[in-house]
Amino acid sequence: MKATKNSNQKITIGLPRMHVEAGEKRCFLPKLVNCLEKYGAQVVLEHGYGEEMGLAPQDYKQAAPSLIFADNTQTYQQDIVLILRCPDEERIRSMRRGACLVSMLHFATRPKRIKLLRDLGLQAISLDSITDDSGRRMVENFNAVAWNGMEAAFELLQTIYPSPGFFNPSRPPIQVTLVGAGTLGAFTVRAAVRYGNLALQEKLSRIGVPGVIVSAVDVDITNQAPVMHSLLERTDILVDASSRPDTTRAIIPNYWLAHLPDHAIVLDLCVDPYQTVAREFHTKGIEGIPQGNLNQYVFSPDDTVFESIPEQVPSAEKRHTVSCYSWPGIHPLECMRVYSSQLHPVMRSLVSRGGPQAIRADGNFFERAISRALLSNHQ
Amino acid sequence: MEDRISIGFPIMREEPGEKRVFLPGFTRKMTAMGFEVFLEEGYGNALELFFDDYKNNNAFIHPASREETFQKDYVLILRSPSKSEYQLVGKNSCLISMLHYPTRPARIALIEELGMKTISLDGVVDDFNMRLVENMKSVAWNGLDAAFTQLSRNNPALLKADQSPWNVLVIGSGVVGKQAVDAASKFGRRERNAMHMENGGSGVIVHTIGRNITHHTDQIKKLLKDTDVLVDATQRYDPSQPIIRNAWLAQLPQDAVIVDLSVDPYTLDTEPMVVKGIEGIPQGNLDKYVFEMDDSQWGETIPHAIPTDHRRLTVSCYSWPGIHPERCMRHYGQQIRRLMRVLHDKNYDTLSPDGLYFERALYRARVNTFIHKQKSS
Repeated sequence: MKATKNSNQKITIGLPRMHVEAGEKRCFLPKLVNCLEKYGAQVVLEHGYGEEMGLAPQDYKQAAPSLIFADNTQTYQQDIVLILRCPDEERIRSMRRGACLVSMLHFATRPKRIKLLRDLGLQAISLDSITDDSGRRMVENFNAVAWNGMEAAFELLQTIYPSPGFFNPSRPPIQVTLVGAGTLGAFTVRAAVRYGNLALQEKLSRIGVPGVIVSAVDVDITNQAPVMHSLLERTDILVDASSRPDTTRAIIPNYWLAHLPDHAIVLDLCVDPYQTVAREFHTKGIEGIPQGNLNQYVFSPDDTVFESIPEQVPSAEKRHTVSCYSWPGIHPLECMRVYSSQLHPVMRSLVSRGGPQAIRADGNFFERAISRALLSNHQ
Repeated sequence: MEDRISIGFPIMREEPGEKRVFLPGFTRKMTAMGFEVFLEEGYGNALELFFDDYKNNNAFIHPASREETFQKDYVLILRSPSKSEYQLVGKNSCLISMLHYPTRPARIALIEELGMKTISLDGVVDDFNMRLVENMKSVAWNGLDAAFTQLSRNNPALLKADQSPWNVLVIGSGVVGKQAVDAASKFGRRERNAMHMENGGSGVIVHTIGRNITHHTDQIKKLLKDTDVLVDATQRYDPSQPIIRNAWLAQLPQDAVIVDLSVDPYTLDTEPMVVKGIEGIPQGNLDKYVFEMDDSQWGETIPHAIPTDHRRLTVSCYSWPGIHPERCMRHYGQQIRRLMRVLHDKNYDTLSPDGLYFERALYRARVNTFIHKQKSS
């Protein structure tokens, strides 16, 4: 079925660039753009789309000959705006009333954003809320979050590990302490026992260096200070992969970090922000660590970035920290291959149905999945 | 009357504890899709379901003999029928079942010899090679639940006298291992975890190791000394070698529990031979999955050549998800339903690798696709 708004008007989809930190290079791939056109949409791409990933306009033109290149403002004037990370408020405000924003919107933790979208009369589909009948996320890259994060942590650990050195066969196994044993935690375990890098794992295995022991604890157990202190004392990498029911409370208070060895690294995979929502202050799971992004995600204890942590957050205890708001973006092409492939059937359904207003909660598998992610269905 | 595509549902004839059947809601949905359903007489009885529960005035649901169910356009049965019953499958029928092509070469040979059309449910994978019909979560949660049920027999809140946390050691971090970490961190059951924490317990620490530790005997022995629950969740490259030698089990505390989630069988007469990841533990099934150290049936599934001197209470079950049959089949029904929609409009021969999402996934699960891939690799 081809998409039409009415008898002769195609549904239009704008794909703007993200315009965030310079390290953010991700754009959807030509294959996905081809899918949008194939199923009847008129695609409007921002000038320079994909350039930072080494893609030329011609790559997109070949995939979708009818697409139009336009400036950033125009891409936001379409029926549907598809962009991986949520745009800033000004750009959201520039969208047409009744249009639909498709992005990682994180409804559950962004009440302000929901209010803004509703006030502006916009529809939205949150990519992170697209779930199948059993509640499994269909557009996600936990694998890349875990592997890229662990890779960065182990790269750093190699350089700061004390005597006899990281590559010495007589060193003890690396101890990773993982807070959170849910979906992200599960991917993290797999990445951690492989040093976040298969080539490094192979190299260390060949020279007989003991591997990695991951000790995972559920958020519940983190109330047990003596148990946690004892774990922290022998930790080389402390990982936050938790999903907290209450983000106003940290899981690891800053003063607990004093129990970590000096060389220990704190790895932040959750990247919950420090923010004030409805007069409540929300903090990171591990208190007093900085928030990184694709420009900078490795922080030494003397980095001035620690000074930018909000005043009310205790941050006296510092360790090397790796944190990145968009872990999958470290390897942009691989990341977008995953997202584009996951989004392909979703966007096909959305376009084929003629837009979000025609999505049925009792429709086919992908319609049901989209329906669960609609702003209008969010309580 | 319209000519509908037929599906036969034979009963699984395994151990008596195997009660799983597709549920009435599933067969009803099949008829709504346009299929005609034929249920073997007695289908569902083990779950207290009777033909009327399925029929419910539905004109497209019929009783049938076992032989008849195997003659329908599609034959849907969760676990593979026995070898002898492959002959019963109709010439133009397509058998849909968990056929485990990669680890069952003899089965593949038989399928080829009989010229059968088969779709292996465990081979239905998406573009990222992720299985679309699986219940790994139940494997892990049911297995860990069984283990902690044993440990909580005389200690319901699982409180330790010295207030220390429980130590679970999971070997393997693949699809089952990942779920095992989650399940173990909650004592295999969320309610049990809540009760433990409410009573001031210190929780569970789940340690996971990969090959780069299991190859270091000294390290693994050290870890075993402090382990309360040892979990095998490995997918070994070389199944002819165990990961934990039987002698090493002596390091475990006397009251430790071993959980076998991998359930690799002992098959010493195949090439390569297969042994369990933890040497000397028995293979369980839905009738019996708890083995005490002095269990009279301990050795029944273990070849004589395998050492069994060192034992700890072991839980092992060939079909962990089957412990909660209804829950399991609701889950599988949901996953299989969307595939059957494709199989209504297409068939084994017309499935295309360039089709839509579920069609591509089904194409990968055809026996012809598997054989072709094997020959070209």
